[in-house]
Amino acid sequence: MANIRDIKNRIESVRSTRQITKAMKMVAASKLRKAQENIVKARPYADSINEMLQTLKLKNRETEHPLLAEGHPEGKRALVVVTADRGLSGAFNFTINRATADYLEQHPKTDVICLGRKGAEFIKKHHGTPIKSFVGLFNEMDFSISKDVASYLLELFLNEGYVSIDVIYNEFKSAIQQDVRAKQLLPIIPVKSEHISTLEFIYEPDAETIIEELGTKYINVEIWRIMLESSASEQGARMTAMDSATDNAEELIGTLTLHYNRARQAAITTEIIEISSGADAINN
Amino acid sequence: MPEIKIVIIQPHQIKLERTCDQVVVPGVDGDFGILPGHTAFITKIRPGVLKVFDETEMTNYAIHDGFVTVESDVVKIVCDVIEEEAEIDVDRAQDAKLRAEKRLQGEKSDVDFRRAEFALKRAITRLEIKQ
Repeated sequence: MANIRDIKNRIESVRSTRQITKAMKMVAASKLRKAQENIVKARPYADSINEMLQTLKLKNRETEHPLLAEGHPEGKRALVVVTADRGLSGAFNFTINRATADYLEQHPKTDVICLGRKGAEFIKKHHGTPIKSFVGLFNEMDFSISKDVASYLLELFLNEGYVSIDVIYNEFKSAIQQDVRAKQLLPIIPVKSEHISTLEFIYEPDAETIIEELGTKYINVEIWRIMLESSASEQGARMTAMDSATDNAEELIGTLTLHYNRARQAAITTEIIEISSGADAINN
Repeated sequence: MPEIKIVIIQPHQIKLERTCDQVVVPGVDGDFGILPGHTAFITKIRPGVLKVFDETEMTNYAIHDGFVTVESDVVKIVCDVIEEEAEIDVDRAQDAKLRAEKRLQGEKSDVDFRRAEFALKRAITRLEIKQ
C-alpha cells in the first residue's frame, strides 16, 4: 500500500530534521557558553573605562566636549540596529525589527546603520538602504572588529554632523530571556558608578585630550559589549528555539509511528481476509 | 618596604594583578617612574616599553596604547594590546616593520598613513624589547 510507504518516508524526513535541530541546539549551547564567558571577561575593562570617564566628567564640568554633551538638540540622528546574521533563532530578529520599525515611525528621518545581515535585509525592504551595514561580524568575535565599527560611528558623529546616535539591541538576561533595549550611544552618558575617585588628579597632556581618547575607548568597549550581549542572546534564543523544535519533531515521530502501525495492521487484516475468503470460495 | 599594586586590564582579560616595587610607564609626554606615595595622576600611554620592578628582577612589556591611572598606590593600566617578552614573535615583528615602512612610503590617504605609522611603532617596540 502506497500510504504505508508515504508515512515511512515522512518519519524518515522528520527524523533527519530532528537530528539537525538537535545538533544546532548543541552548537548554540556551546557558543552561548563562550559568549557568556566573554561578557564576564569584558566587565573589568568596561568598568575601569567608565569609572575614569565618570571621574573626569565630574571634575571638568566647564569643559564641554562634544562626546559628553548633555541635552537633546534637534538635528540629524542615526540609529544602530543590532541583529543576527542568521535566522532560525526564534523571535530574536523579529523583536528587534519590530522595535526598529516603531522607532523609525517616531523619527522618520533617521539614518540607519546595521550590524547583522537580518536587520540589514529588513531595513532595505521597509525603510530604504541603510547608510552602512556590517555583516558577518558574529562568526569571529574579536575586539578589533568592534573597534572598526566604533571608529566608523565616531567619525559619523564628530565629522558628519549627527547630533545623536542611538542603538537597538538584545540584552542577554538568560538563555530563555532576551530583552530588547534601545539607548543613546552618542553623546556618551556614563553609567552611574560607585567608585568615583575624589582625589585631585594631574592630567598629562591635558583633560581634554584624555576625555577625547577615553571617549573613543568607551565607545569601543560599549560596541564590544553590545555585540557580546547580542551574540549571547542570539545563541540563547537559538538554543531555546531548537530545543522546542526537537521536542516537536519527537512528538510528530510518535504520532506518525502510530499511524504507520495502524496502516500496517489494516493491511495485514485485509490480506488475511482476502486469503480466508479465497479459501472459503474454494471449499464451497 | 612599602609596595605598590599594579593592575593591567585588557578587553578580554586581566593581564596582571600583583604588587611590585616600581613601575616605569611610557607616557605621551615621556617615560615616568611610579614609586609608592605617587600623586594621583592620569595619562595616555604611547607605544613603548612598560617596566615592572621587583626586589631582584625586572619584567618588560611591550605596550601600544591605553591609559594609566595612579591613585593611592594602585597603578591601573587599561590597554588593548600588551605583550610580555616571551609572547613576542621576532620574525613577525620584523615582517610587520618592513611592511609598514613600505606602506608609509607609498601611502597618500591620511587614515592609512596613520595606521601604518602606528603599526611601525608597534613593531619597533616589540623588537626593542627583544634586543
